[in-house]
Amino acid sequence: MKNMADKRNHDERLERLMNRLAESVLGLSDEAILAETNEAASDPEQEAERTRLVLRRASELLDNVNRRLSNLGHTINSNGWYRGRSGYHNTCVTCGSFVSFTPATGEMRGDALDGLCAQSGRYMIRKREASR
Amino acid sequence: MARLLSFIDARPQFASPKSALLVENDESLLIFLRTSLKNEEYAVRTAANREEGLRVYRDFGPFNVVLIDYYVPPSNGAKIDHCALPQTSGTALAMDIREMNPSQKMIIAAFDYQNAGQVQRPPELMHIPLLIDSSNFQLPRLLEKIEVERAIEALTPSDLLRLQRSADYRVQSLGRAARGRTGEDLLSEAQLRTLTGAGATREGRHWNKHVDFVWHLTGAMRSISSCWKRQFKDMEPYLISEIPIHDAEGQEHSPLDNVASGDAAADQLLIEKDEEDRVLTMFKDDTEATQVIQGWLDGLTKDEIMSKYGLGEKQYAAVVKRILKLLGPRNGGSRG
Repeated sequence: MKNMADKRNHDERLERLMNRLAESVLGLSDEAILAETNEAASDPEQEAERTRLVLRRASELLDNVNRRLSNLGHTINSNGWYRGRSGYHNTCVTCGSFVSFTPATGEMRGDALDGLCAQSGRYMIRKREASR
Repeated sequence: MARLLSFIDARPQFASPKSALLVENDESLLIFLRTSLKNEEYAVRTAANREEGLRVYRDFGPFNVVLIDYYVPPSNGAKIDHCALPQTSGTALAMDIREMNPSQKMIIAAFDYQNAGQVQRPPELMHIPLLIDSSNFQLPRLLEKIEVERAIEALTPSDLLRLQRSADYRVQSLGRAARGRTGEDLLSEAQLRTLTGAGATREGRHWNKHVDFVWHLTGAMRSISSCWKRQFKDMEPYLISEIPIHDAEGQEHSPLDNVASGDAAADQLLIEKDEEDRVLTMFKDDTEATQVIQGWLDGLTKDEIMSKYGLGEKQYAAVVKRILKLLGPRNGGSRG
């Protein structure tokens, strides 16, 4: 039991230390962070662009999901995403079919991918017909 | 119609530099889209056809976003040619603008279609997002995405390096709860939550544009990492190598020599104690740094540490800088 209490104690102490470092690093000046990266023998520009790429890739992942759903005529409420243990889940607001994707692999699942949205014409505006 | 538009124009505009060009000839759609853009705090200029759209773009562009209807007339009074696919006047205008400014963010509204797969476009425009349905979900999402992308591109190298290192430390703070995740995983998750709005609370994690984007991402990372920590259960099965083995005299043996016991994870405890000692040893010749680290380990606030060890604001900042430098990537400090 003592072992477990010690473990928790050390766990918490290290957690506190790392969290304080995570906060403190945000206060480093531009010169300091660039110099440190340089000293670590890595190119700051390259390192920075690698991080930018991580952010871009996350956007692209969601783009792919949205594009695929859009191609099938499904409409997803952007505020309707739910983060479950296995990934992100949502449902088509018009037909109610389910979709999910896993961030790590980009894999998509759900009956929304089985075919075209059965109700996709519901919110259509027939501009072409109206203007004829 | 004019009265309605002047009513919309008269509504208070936020002091925002965001601008949009809306090219739409249908009056009801114009009102709908213009209102939606204004709700998202955009200052909107409008044009009713390709010719006018091009003129407004030349005079006032670039814009944060250009929203073009797939079917707009080529010029004032001209008829829409519905057979000119994929080169409608809308897509032609998008091509004109793209030629003038390849990085201009655009959205094409194609309300006549049931799905994006039906909307014919020149290959150069395939990456431009489409607005297909008229329900009010798509446009705010597309605008949000454009703004987030703009914010990502605007991040400086030092912003990005700070974000990455902060993410690395956050993941290190998780210990076993990180379950093999890296700082990049945390950053990626923060970005996804920003775009989807999914979060632990009902309000989610959408970016409040009045908050600095770096600040937003670090807040998201803080919240996600503590969520990962909460989800992690200490009762998960331990690896055999994590389980301590003691004989009748209380002597510890290699766990791989024996059958696993149900005791707590001594190896992990030693790793964490070793890590704490390693960090403190690195600063054994720097009394102030040792004091600050000890304060952090004990959970003291900055003020408490400063008061306990008699450090001034500047002194404290200098010590933190020394700590970060020594624990930085050069010494494998933030990459685990």
